[in-house]
Amino acid sequence: MTMAGHERSSLRKVRLYGVLIGLLGLMMLPFYAMFSSTLKPESEIFAAPATLVPSDPSIQAYLQVWTQTDVLLWVGNSFIISVGTVVLTLLLAIPAAYSCARNDFVGKRTFLLSVLVVQMFAPVVLIVGLFDVITQLGLFNTYLAVIVPAAAFTLPFNVWMLYGYFKTIPVALEESARIDGASQLQILTKIVLPLTKPALVASITYTFLYAWNRLLFVLTFLTDSAKYNIPRGVFSMVGALQTDWRMMLTVSVIGIIPLLILFAFLEEYIVAGMTAGAVKE
Amino acid sequence: MSLAEEYTEASDDSRLERGLAYVQRNSRAYLLIAPAAVFLLAVVGYPIIETFRLSLYQSPADSNIETFVGLQHYVEIFNSDIFYRLLWQTGRWVVVGVAGKTLLGLLIAVHLKGDIRGRKFFRTAFLIPWGIPYAISAVVFRWIEHPQFGYLNAILLKLGVIEQGIGILGDPSLAWLGVVVADIWIGTPFMAIIFLAGLQSIPQELYEAAAIDGAEKWHQFRYITLPQLKSVVLIATLLSTIWTFVSFDIIWTMTGGGPISSTATLVIHIYQVGLQNGNLGRGAAYSVIGFLFLFVFAIIYLRIYTRGGDEL
Repeated sequence: MTMAGHERSSLRKVRLYGVLIGLLGLMMLPFYAMFSSTLKPESEIFAAPATLVPSDPSIQAYLQVWTQTDVLLWVGNSFIISVGTVVLTLLLAIPAAYSCARNDFVGKRTFLLSVLVVQMFAPVVLIVGLFDVITQLGLFNTYLAVIVPAAAFTLPFNVWMLYGYFKTIPVALEESARIDGASQLQILTKIVLPLTKPALVASITYTFLYAWNRLLFVLTFLTDSAKYNIPRGVFSMVGALQTDWRMMLTVSVIGIIPLLILFAFLEEYIVAGMTAGAVKE
Repeated sequence: MSLAEEYTEASDDSRLERGLAYVQRNSRAYLLIAPAAVFLLAVVGYPIIETFRLSLYQSPADSNIETFVGLQHYVEIFNSDIFYRLLWQTGRWVVVGVAGKTLLGLLIAVHLKGDIRGRKFFRTAFLIPWGIPYAISAVVFRWIEHPQFGYLNAILLKLGVIEQGIGILGDPSLAWLGVVVADIWIGTPFMAIIFLAGLQSIPQELYEAAAIDGAEKWHQFRYITLPQLKSVVLIATLLSTIWTFVSFDIIWTMTGGGPISSTATLVIHIYQVGLQNGNLGRGAAYSVIGFLFLFVFAIIYLRIYTRGGDEL
């Protein structure tokens, strides 16, 4: 307690940043292991024990990966699946959320709570029943076999996110538009949705990430390797008799670059989405 | 809910008529939720019923012949040693995983809370492990823990902790720890972000008052932060428990449940039995047992979520 106040506080600052940087370093270690390995030549990646710093870093792997693996195809499929899931989810979620926010009707509470329960119904415990449904619908080995279940499991988040946001938009705005003769659809697309942008961005980001990242549906419902997404592609490489670690890690780096860009620009929306179900205002 | 009351108070004979009139009056509201409701019933509701039904049948995936066997699957499951081993392996997986995520998340959140330069950068960076494909995280950890070429062995050898490289994922007694570390790494960011949001909602005056009273940092944490954070911690750990319980991609990619089933959890076993071995009936019976666990979690979640009045 004899230390001068500002000295004490600057010491505390140093300790705070020290701990933070230490924790961040710890969390970043796997990325370092991944990235540094891709910079090693083939001979060095199979050195035992591993060299912690590439002795002669080269970007050779990033030039070879396009021809030696199907990475472009996988990234393309990931995009198709993610965009498809976003579109389907929003088409279903926007009307439902809007209806719940603007009307009071019997069954609304039941609907909203059951939707919440769906979110808890993890796909993997449903996978046996889902397998039956997907086969019966004739969706096996089509993109829809992945998009349909992914949309079902992202729908709850979307409905709740948009429902909460729609409620904050004053009804008066819509009423004056109605008096001016605008149709219901016009009111929704021209007035309500533009005001809902923050919630929409959070919803789209969450859904996009969900569909991009999941392995289970592709693993189970797509056996056609021409439709593999990034997780399934990586999985197929590690399942091979002899794993080409260098190529696989390079594919992994490429597979997360679009996500890093997404994070850098949309971090605030992602955080808003993550905290929506857990932290009440 | 005035319309709802009007509806429920209708007398018996006119109930149907009134009900129809009610639906008609609110037809637009119902039409708008109909697509989502029908979709969920078809893609989630129907598979739930189908899972219950299948669990009563002997049903190989590669044929159309189903034989009704009643509760036979359940009887066999409850009489098998493997079921109790799965419960134990699932339990330790969830408890250690959730505890790790909670503690690390809390540690990160507490340090991010203050007036920090570049908080957005830190928050984004800490978020990344949560937002990338689990399969990619899994292969990276497989690489790190590789018995010959892995970074972990290289570091441990350098530090002199071990004298010979160890193969964690190939060792039936160690493999689950090798996987749980990866799972904690993936699940920590969510906890940190939730706790940070919770911490930021605690009124600053509480700390100021405590500081004036001369309370130590640890006491402030113990008597202000923790109690104020209680409901957030409750919800976050519950959600994390559910997600850890059902986590599939990470285990499947790292070990496929092996070696000798030592990293298999209940959900991994569902997949192995139902889809890999094609025994849909048995897989469905294990799924129903999985439902029961989720059902309990869901009830607790709804209780916490709807507590303190109807905000719907």
